[in-house]
Amino acid sequence: MKLGAQMIMLWENGAMSLRSILSNKGRAFLTALGVMIGVASVIGLTALGQGARVSVEGRLSHLGANLLIIYSGEPRGTSLVRQRTTNIAPMLTREDLTFLDSLPQELVTKTAPESSMNAQLKVENRNAAATVIGTDPDYPDVRNFRPVYGAFFTELDVESRRNVAAIGVQVYRDLFPDGRDPLGQTIRINGFPFQVVAIMEEKGSPTQDASVLIPFSTYRRSLSGSDNYAIINVQAASPEVMYELQEIIERELLSLRRVPSMEFANFYIANQMDLISTVTGVADTFTLLLGGIAAISLLVGGIGIMNIMLVSVAERTREIGVRMALGAKPRHIMTQFLTEAIILSAGGGTIGVLLGNLFSWGAQRFGGLASLVTPESVLLAFSFALATGLFFGGYPAYRASRLDPIEALRYE
Amino acid sequence: MIRIRDIHKQYEMGPTVVHALDGVSMDITAGEFVAIVGPSGSGKSTLMNIIGCLDTPDRGEYVLAGEPVAELSDDQLAEIRNLRIGFVFQNFNLLPRATALENVELPLIYRGRGARARRRVAEEMLERVGLADRMTHLPSELSGGQRQRVAIARALVGGPSVILADEPTGALDTRTGGEIMDLFHRLNRDGVTVILVTHDPALAAQTGRSFRLLDGRIVGNGLIDNRREEAVQ
Ligand SMILES: Nc1ncnc2c1ncn2[C@@H]1O[C@H](COP(=O)(O)OP(=O)(O)OP(=O)(O)O)[C@@H](O)[C@H]1O
Ligand SMILES: [Mg+2]
Repeated sequence: MKLGAQMIMLWENGAMSLRSILSNKGRAFLTALGVMIGVASVIGLTALGQGARVSVEGRLSHLGANLLIIYSGEPRGTSLVRQRTTNIAPMLTREDLTFLDSLPQELVTKTAPESSMNAQLKVENRNAAATVIGTDPDYPDVRNFRPVYGAFFTELDVESRRNVAAIGVQVYRDLFPDGRDPLGQTIRINGFPFQVVAIMEEKGSPTQDASVLIPFSTYRRSLSGSDNYAIINVQAASPEVMYELQEIIERELLSLRRVPSMEFANFYIANQMDLISTVTGVADTFTLLLGGIAAISLLVGGIGIMNIMLVSVAERTREIGVRMALGAKPRHIMTQFLTEAIILSAGGGTIGVLLGNLFSWGAQRFGGLASLVTPESVLLAFSFALATGLFFGGYPAYRASRLDPIEALRYE
Repeated sequence: MIRIRDIHKQYEMGPTVVHALDGVSMDITAGEFVAIVGPSGSGKSTLMNIIGCLDTPDRGEYVLAGEPVAELSDDQLAEIRNLRIGFVFQNFNLLPRATALENVELPLIYRGRGARARRRVAEEMLERVGLADRMTHLPSELSGGQRQRVAIARALVGGPSVILADEPTGALDTRTGGEIMDLFHRLNRDGVTVILVTHDPALAAQTGRSFRLLDGRIVGNGLIDNRREEAVQ
């Protein structure tokens, strides 16, 4: 057959299939329903998985960008999550910090050492417990934890060891329940008077919101007496250099300590990249799992298509016989039914894509869930639906095409 | 054109075996107009199905236009049915959900003819069988005779070289039946081979010669020359 004739046949098949589908709309809808739900759930559920991933990534970047945290002591479990460790012996030295600050701009943008302890706060006759952190003026940038009111202490404050404090919102609420302006007010930390210079932003994490930040110099003199730091936060220049930077730091800090390997070191480094890849790995697994469950429902939808197509072939046996008697070749019959299955699954798939997006939108709008529809999931679900139609429509279509014309004509 | 040798077709119905065709042989040359007559159940439709390449004999040889039909593929058979044969079924076999026009267009679809050309030819054919005003009716909205005429139009629409008509005027009154016969005669004069199954001796008498079937066999040497019989009378 010539190409033009082939095109006409294709068009005819489409028109015929469409007519046959439209002649039984209710059944067509029910047939496509399985695929619809399958596609919608693939898209909707992976959207939730990816939404979770993105929101976790977002929360992680709240820690600060490109962060390496050097901790004193030995690595313990998922130390990454333990952001502030009070009561650990500070074992990072001024020498360590000097080395870190000497690293080139292409590797390190900023550093902020810190030590912390639990302390008793007092204003007038009100008491509160808080974690007091001694650190440097770069701390807000490095840890992405910024003042919302007032100004963080400065290099000058550190040099002159001034008793100034930036307080977390929780501390502010505990100490100043009347909501008065705290700037310039005096609070006592373990009995020493400090002047409030700033309120820090609310982070939603108790460790940060219930902390008080003071210059490291003051912290050493008044509270700890130690020159060492418990933690040094290092902000890398870019995500790409983070592992390289970690290696450089480990090597140098080991050699400063004359220690052969990290096994015997009194420090360890948490790399934000590790954290991100762990957490996003979990989210991806989650996505895959949800996607898998949804794919099964798509499969069930496909079986539904096969079921109905088999019924439809049986019902139309005489029609098939007539067509064959008038010159339809097996492949004409095959494409006719295959086209029907594809139209059903593509139609179901299209509606499913819309429903999936609607579900994702609804989950976000009304369920308060993070949700993100990725183009990949739409493409995947839709092509899977098409493939399902082809595959599960294929068998009934093949059966139809193999019918014997005379038997088909006699079929009652 | 058509050469049939010792064809058998039998159906097993439980313990009994029905010999629908029991050693039929016949030759029909191109351009002939022949009738097949015989009582009900004698195997006429079975024979027509085999000649129309819809059914295959259990045994025997069938050569159509020089080609042994048994050796043809499904696709080749479909092409022969589509291009060379116009089949008027005894029970019409119209698609119930397609209009008269769509039914008549069907054979042309499988030739890959464009929609407009198809429609024009099909309309013309329906006009010729007197159904110009019933084109958009469904078969269920037509009378028996009108359905039969749709079936005839469908058989003729593709310009076949062989017309197989199984009781084509069974549901028609004498006048309409006569018009259809005239149509067949006209086509026959243009060179189309016509094979007509009928119960009506008057119709059989209009053809060149008749085969009489009885219990799956051709009787009387299988050859009744209608003109000579007429001459004898
Ligand atoms: N599919 C079948 N299964 C079993 N028996 C069959 C089948 N088809 C035909 N027969 C038998 O074969 C015989 C011939 O049938 P056929 O339809 O050829 O008769 P016919 O000459 O066309 O009769 P009529 O004039 O009534 O149309 C009949 O006895 C019928 O019962
Ligand atoms: Mg019959």
